[in-house]
Amino acid sequence: MKYLDLAMNAAESLGAEYADIRVQKTTDEVIYLQNLSLKNTSNSVLYGYGIRFFKDGAWGFAHSNIFTDEAVLQTVKRAADIASLSASVNKNKKLRLAPERSYIATYETPVKIDPRDVPMKEKVELMLEVNRSMLAFEGIKRAMFYLIMHRDEKFFGSTLGTRLETNTQWITPMISATAVHEGDSQSRSFNEGGKAVGWEWIESLNLTEKAKQVAEEALIKVKADPLGPEQRRTLILDPIHLGLTMHESVGHPTELDRVLGWEADYAGISFATPEKLKNYRYGSEIVNFVGDNTLNEGLATLGFDDDGVPGQKWHIIKDGILNEYGSTRDTALEIGLGYSRGCNRATYYSDQPINRIPNLYLLPGTKELSPSELIADTEDGVYIQGQGSFSIDQHRVNFQFGGDFFWEIKNGKLHRPLKKVLYKSCNPEFWNSCDAICDERWWRPFGVINCGKGQPSQSARMTHGAATTRFRNIRVGGSQ
Amino acid sequence: MNPLFEKIAQYIQNHVQADDYSLSIRSNDSHETRFAQNGITQHIAGPGLEIDLEVAFGQKTGGGSVNQSDEDTLGQLIKTAQDIARLNRPDPEYLPSVGAQELPRVNNLDPATRDLDPAKMVEIVAQAIAKAKAYGATVSGMTEKHLVESALFTKNGFAGYDASTEFGHSMTLKKDAVETKVSYSALDFGSFSLDKEFERLLSQAESLQTMKDFDPCKIAVILRPPALEELLWFMAWMMNRRQSDEGFTPYTGQLGQPFFGEKFSLRSTLKEPRLHARPFDREGIANREISWVENGVLKNLPTNRHWAKEKNAQPQSMYNFFIPGGAASEEEMMKLVPRGLIINRFWYIRTVDAKAGEFTGMTRDGVLYFEDGQVKHAVNNLRFNEMPHDATRRILALGKQESPSPSSYIPTMLIEAFNFVDKTTF
Repeated sequence: MKYLDLAMNAAESLGAEYADIRVQKTTDEVIYLQNLSLKNTSNSVLYGYGIRFFKDGAWGFAHSNIFTDEAVLQTVKRAADIASLSASVNKNKKLRLAPERSYIATYETPVKIDPRDVPMKEKVELMLEVNRSMLAFEGIKRAMFYLIMHRDEKFFGSTLGTRLETNTQWITPMISATAVHEGDSQSRSFNEGGKAVGWEWIESLNLTEKAKQVAEEALIKVKADPLGPEQRRTLILDPIHLGLTMHESVGHPTELDRVLGWEADYAGISFATPEKLKNYRYGSEIVNFVGDNTLNEGLATLGFDDDGVPGQKWHIIKDGILNEYGSTRDTALEIGLGYSRGCNRATYYSDQPINRIPNLYLLPGTKELSPSELIADTEDGVYIQGQGSFSIDQHRVNFQFGGDFFWEIKNGKLHRPLKKVLYKSCNPEFWNSCDAICDERWWRPFGVINCGKGQPSQSARMTHGAATTRFRNIRVGGSQ
Repeated sequence: MNPLFEKIAQYIQNHVQADDYSLSIRSNDSHETRFAQNGITQHIAGPGLEIDLEVAFGQKTGGGSVNQSDEDTLGQLIKTAQDIARLNRPDPEYLPSVGAQELPRVNNLDPATRDLDPAKMVEIVAQAIAKAKAYGATVSGMTEKHLVESALFTKNGFAGYDASTEFGHSMTLKKDAVETKVSYSALDFGSFSLDKEFERLLSQAESLQTMKDFDPCKIAVILRPPALEELLWFMAWMMNRRQSDEGFTPYTGQLGQPFFGEKFSLRSTLKEPRLHARPFDREGIANREISWVENGVLKNLPTNRHWAKEKNAQPQSMYNFFIPGGAASEEEMMKLVPRGLIINRFWYIRTVDAKAGEFTGMTRDGVLYFEDGQVKHAVNNLRFNEMPHDATRRILALGKQESPSPSSYIPTMLIEAFNFVDKTTF
């Protein structure tokens, strides 16, 4: 890629203390089927490059979709000019970049069957069959299948001498059925998010059978009882549900840019401030969260981040104590951290990378324990599967979650299905109430494909994971 | 019309072999300066282009999008969309693209905003930071300007074009425990005054100095326009004719009924100069003056062409929010109820129960408690679980309209018994 050297030489001649260029082609194949009608069958390509120019403690970022020497040089100049404007404001607030070495490397998502090699007709036929199997149930009024196959091809070069070529991809199938009954309507989904794998995952899922289960459970749900008034109860949460809970209540509060107040105007800040590092009890002693951008099939497993920092694995919460953050080269030194954890990612070529949640997961319990044993050990509680409503305050303290499917537990057994269940809690109460985690046999990932953050808004991806987990004494009740 | 758009449209017209096509083009030129804690953290500039093509062979459809306009890329775009369509299954809900339409004349573009010098934008940021420092505080926010051009062309003869500008400047001030925000967003830069915005920010910050703990309950609220706008987005998202007819929303069977409070009306309008009014929607239907809710009666619901045909209705889109206001000031509103809360802004609103139209969310950027007609002190942020359509039945008074963004021109509202269910620690 000749433009890497051209751009970096130009940036150095303009006095850059650091600069990089990211040439990125993003391809999304989307098929969206609703009630046997193809609402969207398309292939989109976004191709261009973004150039970051760092000088005098300030960034400038310019992007373009025109691939000529002249356009590349103009874009470098524009980034330099913008950095100069930024620096005029940052005289007493200079940004600093954590040290990093150079790399010459490649990375590619390992896939067995490239989704591009699967004919469109085969994909659509599968989706129609899944749709039909849900609509065959009387009472199912809406059947939906959303399939996205995403690919990023990147060339990255920096003035450190780094030259990277990465080809990453992920796929996500999401199906849902909506039932209507006696003035109510309720949906049930199969949604494990995205995975950095190929079409082999879709083939292994047996989605037609899953669709029947989804439809049956939508019908059970719409006829289920709502939960009564809110009271303190025991909660058992499945891994897919926990993916969202940990994303909001652990992932975002431990992004270092939020901790520093860089998202104060929009996405918010964090209660997990630096003086709490190594001493704040975020969760009970069995709560261990790991940031891991080397996770097999993880959506943030990209080889390197958009600072050119390699994927790493580290404890964010260790034995319940806040241990470290997810960081970037321009945030790390602000708290005296001499290195970046490689969490700077951009969505498209035209986005300036920002501090993102890494692949982040709850380590499984160390004692042998299955979900059925956990339920059998629970006198009175609510078991939540899948994801529903979610909302959290802008300091990441108070939150409320719903779910996708609910059971009341009585005397160690699933007693009756429920609907319209919500729980309310806050940090650090919630993770400190965790008293049991199933073992590694039950650990499952959930891949977030639409984490919104930043101004202008960007949508990032990362994988979470957990085994089924129990929480005591949480406020659980019906919606109003 | 942008000449590049015409050139792209001509190429597509000359080379598409499909029975039908719809070509959507959108370009933008943006400059975004993001600042936090009294320094610039991000600074972005560059052009953008999106070319979306949907084609059909009979009822078999396919689509593609690219962001480059050279002939090789456009040729590949046509090939991709046509290949998908040929391999696809017929869509039972497919409708041929729209033909030529008489479109309303609108003006969404301000040349001075389009030509705004980035150096001037950075000067605004520098002044905001200087003012925050002088107050002993930190400020975070964003200054941005956008020029957006969009067009739609179809095989059946539709050609529509819109150009709009937008200038925005937001500021979140933090001093000790006080955290509050103001934002300006408009089609034009001309009416922006940093002094005025910062004065508003300081006034909010000063009013929040004394904070007392407050437990959630049902209580009257004065929703300032930025808070109301956040709620409206979610309520409007559910106002969909098909979803309602199929039983998925609270509006099922409510067309023509007094489903909202009688003090509440909601329209989309081409005539309010503060509002961005695109002349046509994504299917090429000309936008028109339309009343969604009139004195509480649900008059219309947004409907796409397919469902409009099924229901023998007129297709229509909700392209902006216009809610008629009243004459009540906040001071007068405070005297209409024994006690209540003034809400600056909501945050993280999400659906709790789609069929019931129930949402949850948090307050943000300052909540004031009033009693006996006077503001007493600030309180902690609160969580609500509420049905906005039901809340309109509890409107006690409407204030003057304001435009928190080019999408809405809406009043301050006094609403009785707003349902707060939880609180946070700040």
